[in-house]
Amino acid sequence: MIYFVRRFAVFLLTLWAAITLNFIIPRLQPGDPAERIVRRLNPNSRTVDPNQVEAVRKMLGLPDTNIFEQYLQYLQTLVRGEFGVSYSYFPFTVTHMIGQTLPWTLVLGAVTLFIGFVVGTLLGAWAAWRRNGPFDSVTTLGATFLGTLPSFWIALLLLYVCAFKWGWFPVGGGYSGDAQPGWNWAFISSAFEHSVLPAVSILLFAPIGWILGMRNNMVTILGDDYTRLAKAKGLSERRIALWYGARVAVLPNVAGLALAVGGILGGSVVIEQIFSYPGMGRLLFEALRDGDYPLMQTVFLFIIIGVLLADLVADFLYGVLDPRVRRGG
Amino acid sequence: MSLLAVDQLDVTYLTRKRPPVQAVRGVSLTIGPGEFVGLVGESGSGKSTLGNATIRLLSRPGEITGGTVSFNGQDITALGEDRLRPMRWRDISTVFQSSMNSLNPVMPIEAQFRDAIQAHSRASNGQVRKRVAELLTMVDIDPSFMRFYPHELSGGMKQRVALALALALEPKFVLLDEPTTGLDVVVQRAILERLRVIQREQEFAVLLISHDLGSVLEFSDRVLVMYAGEIVEEQAAADMLRHPRHPYSRGLLGSYASPTAKTIAITYIPGRPPDLSKPHQGCLFAPRCVDAIPLCRMKAPELLPLGDGLVACHVAKMRAEAGQLPEQQGRSWRTQAAGAVFTKHTVAKDPTGAEDILRFEGVSKLYTRRRGFKTTLVQAVDDVSFVLSKGHVTALVGQSGSGKSTIAKLVTGIERPDSGEISFGDLRVDRLGRRGLRDFRKHIQMVFQDPYSALNPAHTVLSTLMRPLINHKGMSRGQAQSRALELLETVGLTPPERFGQRHPHQLSGGQRQRIVIARALAPEPAIIIADEPISSLDVSIRAEILELLDGLVREQGIAMLYITHDLLSARLLADDIIVLNEGKVVEAGRAEDVIANPQHAYTQLLLRSIPNPFVEETAAD
Ligand SMILES: Nc1ncnc2c1ncn2[C@@H]1O[C@H](COP(=O)(O)OP(=O)(O)OP(=O)(O)O)[C@@H](O)[C@H]1O
Ligand code: SF4
Ligand SMILES: [Mg+2]
Repeated sequence: MIYFVRRFAVFLLTLWAAITLNFIIPRLQPGDPAERIVRRLNPNSRTVDPNQVEAVRKMLGLPDTNIFEQYLQYLQTLVRGEFGVSYSYFPFTVTHMIGQTLPWTLVLGAVTLFIGFVVGTLLGAWAAWRRNGPFDSVTTLGATFLGTLPSFWIALLLLYVCAFKWGWFPVGGGYSGDAQPGWNWAFISSAFEHSVLPAVSILLFAPIGWILGMRNNMVTILGDDYTRLAKAKGLSERRIALWYGARVAVLPNVAGLALAVGGILGGSVVIEQIFSYPGMGRLLFEALRDGDYPLMQTVFLFIIIGVLLADLVADFLYGVLDPRVRRGG
Repeated sequence: MSLLAVDQLDVTYLTRKRPPVQAVRGVSLTIGPGEFVGLVGESGSGKSTLGNATIRLLSRPGEITGGTVSFNGQDITALGEDRLRPMRWRDISTVFQSSMNSLNPVMPIEAQFRDAIQAHSRASNGQVRKRVAELLTMVDIDPSFMRFYPHELSGGMKQRVALALALALEPKFVLLDEPTTGLDVVVQRAILERLRVIQREQEFAVLLISHDLGSVLEFSDRVLVMYAGEIVEEQAAADMLRHPRHPYSRGLLGSYASPTAKTIAITYIPGRPPDLSKPHQGCLFAPRCVDAIPLCRMKAPELLPLGDGLVACHVAKMRAEAGQLPEQQGRSWRTQAAGAVFTKHTVAKDPTGAEDILRFEGVSKLYTRRRGFKTTLVQAVDDVSFVLSKGHVTALVGQSGSGKSTIAKLVTGIERPDSGEISFGDLRVDRLGRRGLRDFRKHIQMVFQDPYSALNPAHTVLSTLMRPLINHKGMSRGQAQSRALELLETVGLTPPERFGQRHPHQLSGGQRQRIVIARALAPEPAIIIADEPISSLDVSIRAEILELLDGLVREQGIAMLYITHDLLSARLLADDIIVLNEGKVVEAGRAEDVIANPQHAYTQLLLRSIPNPFVEETAAD
C-alpha cells in the first residue's frame, strides 16, 4: 500500500514540475507573441501598428499582470481546459484543435500498439519456449533484420507502391471529403481505409521490441532454477510455460507497454506527417514549423501528462504483478 | 533390490565453441530404499551433473552419452518426458544447489506446493492447505508463512521451504544438491539434523551432494567420493572416517580438525582438477597425488572392491594386498601427510608489546529501520571495545545479523558510531571529515567472501594490481608493474609473469582469492578486514588461503580483523576471538582460551556446529 501511495505522490510532484516548466519556458523567450502575430498577418508591411498589436493582445487574452498572477491564471485555465487561441489556426482555440486531432492519434496509436504488443509478446514467448528451433530462428532473425531498416523509408515505400502506383489505398488524410465525420458507415469505412497504410507501417515494426524482449526474458527464466524445479515437480508443459516462464517474463513487457502508451502522442509525428494523417503528431509538427507557441505548449503538456500517467500506471501494474516490488518499495 | 541403479553412466556437455566436456565418466552406483548416501568432491567434479542425470533433469547442453539409470527396476535413461512426468515428485524429488532461487518469485509459497500436489493428486485446495501447514511445521516454519512470497523469507527459511516442498508427496528418493550451502553454520546444522530425523521417520532414500565431507560423513550411511567425473572411493561412512583409502579422500578429510586440540594440523590438496575436455592418460589425480608411482601416470586405476568398499587407486590396492592399511586405527593415517599441511600450535604469541593500530572503545551504533509506517530501532553494535594490533589477527565471530558487518563499516568509517571512540593512532576515526576519511582509508583494505565478483572480469591480473599502486602510491607504470609482479610472488602465484597476463575467468577460485589478497596488499595497508575470505572456497583449498593470510600478517606486521562464523578457521588464524551476539560482545579473549573453554551458550552452539567428523575421537583424547 505504501508503495502505491508513494508512487502517486511522486507522480503528482513530477506533474506539477512539468506543468510549471511548461509555464516558464515560453515566457523566457524574447519578443511579444502579439507582435509576432501582427507581423504574420501583414507580412508585407515593415512597421507594426501598436493599436493592432494591442487589439491582438486583447483578443488572445495575453495578460499584463505580474508573473504570479499569471501563474495562478495559467493553473486555472489548465483546470478548465482553456489553452488559449492557436496562432496558426486562428481563430480556432487550441482546445478545439487538439479535440480535432487527438482521437485520430489515439485510435491509430492505441490499436496498433495493442496489436503489436499482443502479437509480439506471443511470438516472443513461443520462440523462447521452442528456443533454437526453426520458429525461433526465423522470428528472431526476422525481427532483428526488420529492426535495422529505417521505418520512415518503409512507410514511404508503402505509400508510393500501394497508394500512388497501384491506387489500392488513399494517398493521405484521415477520411475522404465527402464523408461526414460521425457514427455513420461512410465515415467509418473511409477512416478505416485511410488508416490502413499508416497502421501497416507501424505494425511492421511495432512487435519487434516486444518479440525480442519477451524472448530474451523468457529464455533466461526458463533456464532459471525455479523453472527447472517446476519440471522436476512434474508439472505439465503448459503450466511451466505459462506460470513459470511467461508469467515472470512478461513483467518487463507490461511495464514497457504502459510506457509505450505514454509515448503514442510523441511517437506519431513521422508517420502522421508521411501520410498527412490528421492527428496530433502532425499538429505538433505544424505548430513547431509555424512557431505557434500556445499550440506547441499545449501539445507538449499533453505529451508530458501522457508519459507521466503511463509511468504511474506502469509502476502500479508492476506493483500488482510483481510481489517483490510491492513490499520491497 | 536397489531403488536407484546407475550403471556406467557418461554425461557430456556438448558446447558449440569449446570441445565437449566429459563431466561424468563411467559412474556406477546404487542406492537402496531408505538409504542415506553422500556424494562429495571439489567444485567442478561433476556432482551436480551426476545428480541431475540420475533424475533426468540435466540442463542443456548436458546429455547422457552412455550407460543407464534405472529407478525401481525401470530403465529411465531414455524415457520420454510424458512417461517421466507422473514419476516426478511422486517418486523422485529434489532440492537444488541454489535452492534459494528455486522458488517462483511471483507465486506465494502455498501456490508452489499446491501446483506440485495437484499435479499428482486430486487434493482439494483445503486439503492442500492442511498438508502445507503440516509440511511447514515439520521443517520448523510457522504455517502462516504459506501466504508469503519467497522474497519475504530469509535464506534459511527458503531452504527449509524447498526441503518441505521436496517431501510434499512423500517421495521414495530425494536428491539434495548442497541444500544448505551458503547458510550460517548453525542454521546448516539445524536443517541437516531435521532432515535426518524426518528421513528416518519417512524412510525415503537420499543422495546428499556436498563439497563438505565433514557434514556428509556425519549424516550419511554411505559415502561416494567423486573426482574429475569419476567415483574414486565408496565406503560406509564409519569406515571412510577410520580408514579412507584413496589419497584424495584423505586429502579432503585432512581439512577437518578439532578446534580444541592443542596442535591443529589441517591439510590441503595443492593443484587443481584436470580439464575434462582434454584427453587423459593414467590416474587423473596423479598430478596432485602424494602417493603417485610411475604406474599411476600410465594406467588408469579401476574402481575395485577393497575391504568393505570400492577404491580406484593403484597404491591403495597394492597396500591392501600387502596387508598394510586398514589396521591403522584411529587417526594414525592422518599423520602421514596427504597433502600440504598448515599447522597451528598453541604457541603463546604475546600480544603485549605489539603496537596497537586501531582501538574501539565503548562503540555503539543504533539503526532505525523503517518498514511501512513502523520504525524499529536496531541496536546493531552495543558498547563494543577491542584493539587491533600489529601482526595480530582478531577474529570477529557471530551469526549473520549479529553486527559483524556493521563493525567492519565502523572500522572503515563508512558508518559513524553514535557513541564511543574509534582511534587509529592519534586519529579519531569517528570524527574524520570527508577528506580525512579518504586519507585514512588508504590504510585499510578489504578481502571479501566472493572472489568471483570481486575482480573485474575485463582486466588482466596485472592491471588489477597496478591500478591501486598508480592511484594510491603514485608509482610510474614501470614501478607499478615490477611491484605487482612482486606481489604475485608474495601470494604464491608463480611464475608471476604468466599469472599477470591472465583474466579472472582463467583462474581457479583459490587463485582468484590470492589475487584479491595481493590487491589488498598493494597499498601497504596497516589494517586488513577479511570478511569470510574462505567460505566460498572449496574445503580442499581453504587451508591454503588461511596459511597465506597467516604468513602475510606476521611477516608484514598487518593488523587483521577476520570476520567469520567458522570457529575452526578462527582458531587457526586468529590470536584473539571476539564473539558477538545481537551487537554485544558476549565473549572475548585469546583464541585457545575461548575455544577450550567457551562460556557463552552461543559460543558453545557455534563450536558444536562446526562440521567435525572426528568428534568421537576428540572426545576419546
Ligand atoms: N551447462 C554447462 N555447460 C558446459 N559445461 C558445464 C555445464 N555445467 C557444468 N559444466 C561442467 O561440467 C563439470 C561438472 O560440473 P558440475 O556442476 O556437475 O560440478 P559440481 O561438482 O556440482 O560442482 P559444484 O560443487 O561447484 O557445484 C565442470 O567441469 C563444469 O565446468
Ligand atoms: S592411482 Fe596413483 S596417482 Fe591415482 S590416487 Fe592412487 S596413488 Fe595417487
Ligand atoms: Mg554442484
